[in-house]
Amino acid sequence: MRAGGAMFERLFSERVGVLVQGITGRQGRQHSALMRAYGTHIVGGVSSSSTEASVDGVPVFADCRHAVAATGAEASVIMVPAYAVLAAIIEAIEAGIKLVVSVTEGMPVHDALIAARMARRHGVYWIGPSTPGLAIPGRIKLGFLPDVALAPGPVGLMTKSGTLSYEIGYRLVQRGVGQTLWAGVGGDSVKGVRFADLVPFYRDHEATRCLVVIGEIGGTEEEELAEALRAHPFEKPVCVLLAGASAPEGVTMGHAGAIIQGARGSVASKTAALEAAGAKVFSTMEHLVEHVVRTKGRA
Amino acid sequence: MMLLEHDAKSLLGENGILVPAGVFVDSAAAIEAASLPPGPWMVKAQVAVGGRGKAGAIRAADTLAEAAAHVAALVGTKVRGRPVHGCRIEQRVTGMRESYISFSVDPAGMGVRVLMGEQGGIDIEKIAERSGGIRSSVAYDKESLREAVRSLSAGAPGALRRALGEAGQALAEIVWKFEATLLEVNPLFIRDDGSWVAGDAKLAIDDNALERQPALKSFFLERRRAYPEVALKLEEGFDYVLLNADGQIGLVTTGAGLSMALVDQITAAGYRPFNFVDIRTGQFRGDPRRLVQVLRWIAAGAQIRVVLVNIFAGITHLGEFARLLVEALRLVPEMRAPIVARLVGNGQAEAESILSASGVVLETDLDRALALALEHVPDARGGRNV
Repeated sequence: MRAGGAMFERLFSERVGVLVQGITGRQGRQHSALMRAYGTHIVGGVSSSSTEASVDGVPVFADCRHAVAATGAEASVIMVPAYAVLAAIIEAIEAGIKLVVSVTEGMPVHDALIAARMARRHGVYWIGPSTPGLAIPGRIKLGFLPDVALAPGPVGLMTKSGTLSYEIGYRLVQRGVGQTLWAGVGGDSVKGVRFADLVPFYRDHEATRCLVVIGEIGGTEEEELAEALRAHPFEKPVCVLLAGASAPEGVTMGHAGAIIQGARGSVASKTAALEAAGAKVFSTMEHLVEHVVRTKGRA
Repeated sequence: MMLLEHDAKSLLGENGILVPAGVFVDSAAAIEAASLPPGPWMVKAQVAVGGRGKAGAIRAADTLAEAAAHVAALVGTKVRGRPVHGCRIEQRVTGMRESYISFSVDPAGMGVRVLMGEQGGIDIEKIAERSGGIRSSVAYDKESLREAVRSLSAGAPGALRRALGEAGQALAEIVWKFEATLLEVNPLFIRDDGSWVAGDAKLAIDDNALERQPALKSFFLERRRAYPEVALKLEEGFDYVLLNADGQIGLVTTGAGLSMALVDQITAAGYRPFNFVDIRTGQFRGDPRRLVQVLRWIAAGAQIRVVLVNIFAGITHLGEFARLLVEALRLVPEMRAPIVARLVGNGQAEAESILSASGVVLETDLDRALALALEHVPDARGGRNV
């Protein structure tokens, strides 16, 4: 397991200091307030252009290096425009940040390749691009997951989609089933943390009783997940919802990564791989939710 | 977004890559006015999917009459689900060796994967299964891309080595310059003297990079008929896909994943969704413009029986959304189909009072909202209009 797994463990037990890069922007300001209201320990903001000394009492620094030196922050949420995300990630990693969440949609693929490689080389967990973020319900939220869908509970939730995971999380919470670590890996094809990277954490994390995965057409991430589940025995039940069964070939369905090209990326290919690895694959939201509620993550 | 072969070849041609001479025609009648290269020709349906050869969408023509017949037979049909709006008629290349080169973004490998094969052509999948049939390497930057091409072509004999090396470097330059996510040339035609021609071209461009690729951006805007989704995203800032022109259920939804799942569910139940959309309420900023746009497009559908609105708002205030929806409906009087709305988030009570006065049916549970919407659609699977 790479260094980030230990970071996730620590998020459960410690108050990890968090920076918001782009805190003086519209989105940064709004979501910093919401994250703090949820309990996230935001210790500083970063803005290269603003002259504001603080935002709602949070000190604002000119760059990550100064922010980390002054606050000891170890995680950062990036809320800057798409073409500025790469530079923000590089700045965070060079300042020693170990967990980076970048929510912005529209980061160019070639930028994401550079960021992903750099994060891996430095043992940094980069969640993104184009993710609503991650949360440990009741403790911390990095990004803009809606509170109504969050509650502590036994389900490890990882997802490419934002809204579809809100819907699933919300239905589960309404029926009394909450989550351990909710990780939105994002809908782009090139990204930091991929489904398979999270398997070791969920395997070792005792409070996680079952894994719910929300995948979709395009790419090979679900197939890689299947391989990771097979590589080491994964004793916990894995329930998967795959979106895009009816999508036309060759058309991008909203998410940059959601595109079928030939047999690659189709729901059929993903279903076959996941079922062979022992996962249960569902085609409707309600069937998945009913199953998870009925078994309470047991079988 | 994958470019049509004709567009990809035009782009390659403008950037110094030799391609067979060819023209684009959208009908058999257009052949007369087009300045065709000397024959014989290949007539190639222009759809941005692989496997055209095996699908019978690439045909040889020795005479103009044959070419016209092929164009007439192909335009207006669908190849692997994609409508054919036109064909590329190009000079046939014969008697040359067929090799293979591709560059593709490899998300798991976090780099650009370079594949090279001395032998290419229509059976490339089978060739790739043979050991040594295709050689592969992953590059991380411009220099390692050059190095990958050098080392992969080094093993080929004589004239092939030179051609694969030269073509590889020239194509790598294009991948880098245009931030391509895929560039596959199969076949790469190679003569005995080592000269080469790009026989086919699959080129996919990163939509997210278009704002810093001005030439590509204006290209997509000019060719909006072939790339409606990209042009719309560039101009309007949201995703919309027309799924079935004779669809019965219009969707006004936010979130790509949830919208996709809804489309799946409607399709699996035997109904025809009209559209996919991720309308992004967070970007409305008090302006009903997007709602007006989407409602107009849906209202234009001849078979529309109902519109399903689904907004799961983390941040957007539902009262404001409801006001914008009512305003948009007022601006789109041609929308006569009933509206079923499912809203979850802050300001639910306010939204309810605003919408109930306007005749919109409100529901908080998605599956119940969908069931209510489908009650307006008489034609389930096996029904009279299917």
